[in-house]
Amino acid sequence: MKIKSYFLIVLGLAALGLFPVLVPNPYYVHLVETILIYAILLFGLDIVVGYTGQVSLGHAGLFGVGSYTAGVLFFKLGLPFLLAVPAAIGVTAVFGAVLALPALRVTGPYLAMVTLAFGTIIQILINEMTFLTEGPIGIKVAKPIFFGHKLNEVEYFYVVAVLMVLALVVVHRILKSHLGRAFEALRDSPVACDCMGVSVYRYKVYAFVISAGLAGLAGALYTYSEEYISPNTYNFELTILFLLAVIMGGRKTRSGALIGAAIVVMLPSLLSDINLFRVIATALAVGVAAMAAYNLMRKTRTVRELAVPVLATVAMSVFSFQLENITDWRLTIFGLMILFVVYYLQDGVVGFARDFLARFVRPKTHASVGSSNANLRRWTSTHTNASAGTGPLLEAQQVLMQFGGLKALNRVDLRVMPGTVHGLIGPNGSGKSTMMNVLTGIYQPTAGQVLFNGHSVTGQTPASIALSGIARTFQNVQLFGEMTATDNVLVSLHHIYKSNIVDVMLGTTRYRREDAAAREQAASLLDFVGLTAMSQEQARNLPYGKQRMLEIARALGLDPRLLLLDEPAAGLSPADLPELMSMVQKVRDHGITIILIEHHMDVVMGISDTVSVLDFGQKIAEGKPADVQSNPAVIEAYLGSGAQAH
Amino acid sequence: MLTIENLQAGYGKVQVLHGISIQVPQGKIVTLIGSNGAGKTTTMRAVSGMIKPTAGKITLAGVDITGLDSHQIAKRGLAHSPEGRRVFPTLSVLDNIRLGAFVRYTKARPQGDIESDLQKALELFPRLKERTHQIAGTLSGGEQQMLAMARAIMLNPEVILLDEPSMGLAPILVEEVFNIISRLKGEGVTMLLVEQFAAAALKVADYGYVLENGRISVHGPADQLKDDPAVKAAYLGG
Amino acid sequence: MEIFLQLIYSGIALGMIYGVIAFGYQLTFATSATLNFGQGEALMLGALVGLSLAGTIHGGPYLNYWLMIPLVAIFGAAQGALVEWIGVRPAIKIKSEFGWIMSTIALAIIFKNVAENIWGKDDLKFPSPLSEAPIKIFGGNVLPMEIVVVVGALAMMAMVEIFNRKSIYGKAVVATSNDRDAASLMGINTGAVITFSYALSSMTGAVAGVLVAPLTLTGATMGSVLGLKAFAVAIIGGLTSGVGVIVGGLILGIAETTTGYYISTGYKDVPGLVLLLLVLAVKPAGLFGKMAIKKV
Repeated sequence: MKIKSYFLIVLGLAALGLFPVLVPNPYYVHLVETILIYAILLFGLDIVVGYTGQVSLGHAGLFGVGSYTAGVLFFKLGLPFLLAVPAAIGVTAVFGAVLALPALRVTGPYLAMVTLAFGTIIQILINEMTFLTEGPIGIKVAKPIFFGHKLNEVEYFYVVAVLMVLALVVVHRILKSHLGRAFEALRDSPVACDCMGVSVYRYKVYAFVISAGLAGLAGALYTYSEEYISPNTYNFELTILFLLAVIMGGRKTRSGALIGAAIVVMLPSLLSDINLFRVIATALAVGVAAMAAYNLMRKTRTVRELAVPVLATVAMSVFSFQLENITDWRLTIFGLMILFVVYYLQDGVVGFARDFLARFVRPKTHASVGSSNANLRRWTSTHTNASAGTGPLLEAQQVLMQFGGLKALNRVDLRVMPGTVHGLIGPNGSGKSTMMNVLTGIYQPTAGQVLFNGHSVTGQTPASIALSGIARTFQNVQLFGEMTATDNVLVSLHHIYKSNIVDVMLGTTRYRREDAAAREQAASLLDFVGLTAMSQEQARNLPYGKQRMLEIARALGLDPRLLLLDEPAAGLSPADLPELMSMVQKVRDHGITIILIEHHMDVVMGISDTVSVLDFGQKIAEGKPADVQSNPAVIEAYLGSGAQAH
Repeated sequence: MLTIENLQAGYGKVQVLHGISIQVPQGKIVTLIGSNGAGKTTTMRAVSGMIKPTAGKITLAGVDITGLDSHQIAKRGLAHSPEGRRVFPTLSVLDNIRLGAFVRYTKARPQGDIESDLQKALELFPRLKERTHQIAGTLSGGEQQMLAMARAIMLNPEVILLDEPSMGLAPILVEEVFNIISRLKGEGVTMLLVEQFAAAALKVADYGYVLENGRISVHGPADQLKDDPAVKAAYLGG
Repeated sequence: MEIFLQLIYSGIALGMIYGVIAFGYQLTFATSATLNFGQGEALMLGALVGLSLAGTIHGGPYLNYWLMIPLVAIFGAAQGALVEWIGVRPAIKIKSEFGWIMSTIALAIIFKNVAENIWGKDDLKFPSPLSEAPIKIFGGNVLPMEIVVVVGALAMMAMVEIFNRKSIYGKAVVATSNDRDAASLMGINTGAVITFSYALSSMTGAVAGVLVAPLTLTGATMGSVLGLKAFAVAIIGGLTSGVGVIVGGLILGIAETTTGYYISTGYKDVPGLVLLLLVLAVKPAGLFGKMAIKKV
């Protein structure tokens, strides 16, 4: 780790440790304690919202479950802190799983509504199940007792601080690991994620359950912090506050969670002081107006784009002078803040600060990482020297794919022999991409079956088909855009990691060994396709031709026996084509069988051993490229009747 | 009538068209042929506003329409029957055809006699006349193609863009479609026809352009292009 | 038995309100694949504005109940257009689902808070334009207002249906729902269609608000849970089917009135919410809807 990071961390820890000493006022200690507790929950919420990109409106409910588990265990059973807190984490994680398993089959607004329903139900249940929760009366709790000594405010602060730091470390490790990559991958391209052997559904559930566990921890700590809990705390307003904190602080960063927590915890106190609010609102209006004027002069924005924020901040400032009491309007303020952040501050405070500072710092050129690594092992497939069996590697038998009345594939047979490059061509709408999707499990065939290495893979999920040795690339490049080239390849190397989450959290030797092996493999794969110099670039910034190469490297990470290439030449300039063709041959020479869908005839005919031609969902010809090229039926299929007279 | 100058367009990072120029004179049928991935549909989309060109100029009846939204281009008299037909599946045949004249109902274009044009369209497409109340989503591929063409005609356009009308159709239906295109030619319709089936397209067109990898490789009067070996090479390589 | 019938009738009236709100979700989802998380707030604002016009709370009454309805409808349409303009259009432009989800939620919060400040946090009584004496139908009691609710809800949905079928503009809206790009090629300004569908959706919600207000307590909080439960109805009906929301609404309405009476009022919101979870878990496309197969 860099010196700068070490320094900042030590500084942060020192600040945290010294805070109660420097500011002994119990009100402020409690305030910062609340910020730390919220931050724990936000680390988890960020995994769901920031990393997997889903909106959860139920985290106040999970927070409530954690709180009440600790509270009820204390109240009813007198359990000590050291038992109640893990119990709270566990129970909330279970609730999270129970919610996630059905809920995460849907996405977007559906998921938002489901989690909202969940949160509402939890609040109702806490309120109504008085036999357990004491209902609206609430539960009183005392500070925990360690070794006969009851903790005072400051001592409890340290307990919370330590747990927050631990939570931060754990979450950081999870997100830097293969789990974190899986979370990001499933957001960037769910279909590619599944096809690289990482089940989208499963990892969405993991993400949610982890966030539930963290919410449970936060809830339990909250109970002891407040020493009194009641149902109406865990309402929709709190859930919105949590979301606001995550997006305002900045997604995908731990510091964002801390900043966001600080903002939302201090917000109500800020809003209760009308004079302070007036000052801030006016300062904000002036600041936004100044930035708007600056942008207008520089001509980076139009008047229309700037009108809304300027008018809104000025209106808010004027409005604040009309009011005596801003507390009644705090929800409006929250709402306006959300609107503001969603459209103007998408990366939150942290993102804004980063972009702002970036203007003053010269951009660092990414050190070309592996180019000088002479010890880099050349990539080889484990199938290079595998004895080629006599039978076909892949066999599609009488595959029928029907969409309503349309037969996209009409009883197609395909036999792909091992060690060959098998081209699949046909006019638009002939069924080539449909066949590709059937072979990789994205579509279930209406009838017929697909045999891979003698075993049926019909009806299996894309992730399981990928793991059994069939990899693919996509016609519209489906890279994980916001991840680096290396990370993209590491996703398909997910199968190397047998470590579980505990290994990740503790950083065990097993995990570190597997991680090193995976990274080495990724580096050799990038070297194989010639992308070593760009290994740290974000995938979406790579030139198009290189993106195609990256997709191939990523697919090879699965160590497949069969590689399906879906129109790899699409969009490439003529200069890129020879590189593509030699890459395909290189892969074939490593013992991997290839099915190549292409429109670009020079490419397909140039490298295929066999070519199958589809038209209207049926196979109309098959054979060596030269034979297929002069086959009258094929010519007719492409050029129409009356064209063979040449 | 329609002039395309140095058109460049693409999707995100992928540039598909690298500067193509096409002229469609009034009353003529011009065809744009080429293999898949060459950029034919991209050209159509850039002209009708479905995607925005990155460079170049498009002029319709003397009016610059480069960069306008599709509904604005439609109001200026360009009808586009898109790749895959894209009829409105939950509406009836009759409703689909009427929607083709939407800009005439709203008086964005000269209204004329919509009902009589409707009858004429049905005469031109007897298969549709038999099924005016059938829901468009249940029509066969060929019938949907007829519907898309009828819809385009109803705009009373200056130019019709017809994108791959033969796609997915059985040969006998392809023949029917091209017969109708011939008839329209006889009525003086101005058309830019994109086709994968070079032979049929060149038979019915007046002029042709061959698109290869986003550039025009060859162009000329249709009956000359028919016998040009460069055309076959553009499709099947070699 | 009498009570049971009464619960059924109340459930039907309640169900029709759910149906109308769900119908509003469908209207915007059909044309833009987005929906307004503040749909319930549209109902709430309609009811409160109606109260100000037809009731005594703000120095009124200024209009009688029936004349007030068109004004509330206009208000609702304007409110819907505002939501679309601020919350949805920018999100569609940057293709951010998170964007419109969060901004329609934010607008809902703002509307509710503004309502609390203008009309207070307490629930208010909405004067009923009709007699509150129940009528007997097949032995069970029905309030005249309940009949108005059912008739009004059905009438609104029917009018929209007729508009869609008969007018060329209505067909343009359906065309936009079917295929936005192809609709554009016809010269249809699909952006305006989306704004229109939001205006229509809030308008029907607002009118539903004044219809249901005399039957229940009117206040700033009346919309939130209604909106959430109506989403369950929209899902049951399938976000693309019209008939489904009526059926779904009736199921939920009757389930709620019967639960509230036979079990306990504290739990009365639970059936709806549980229903939402179940439907989404089992059949996300709803009982009547179709799931689109995504092409890769």
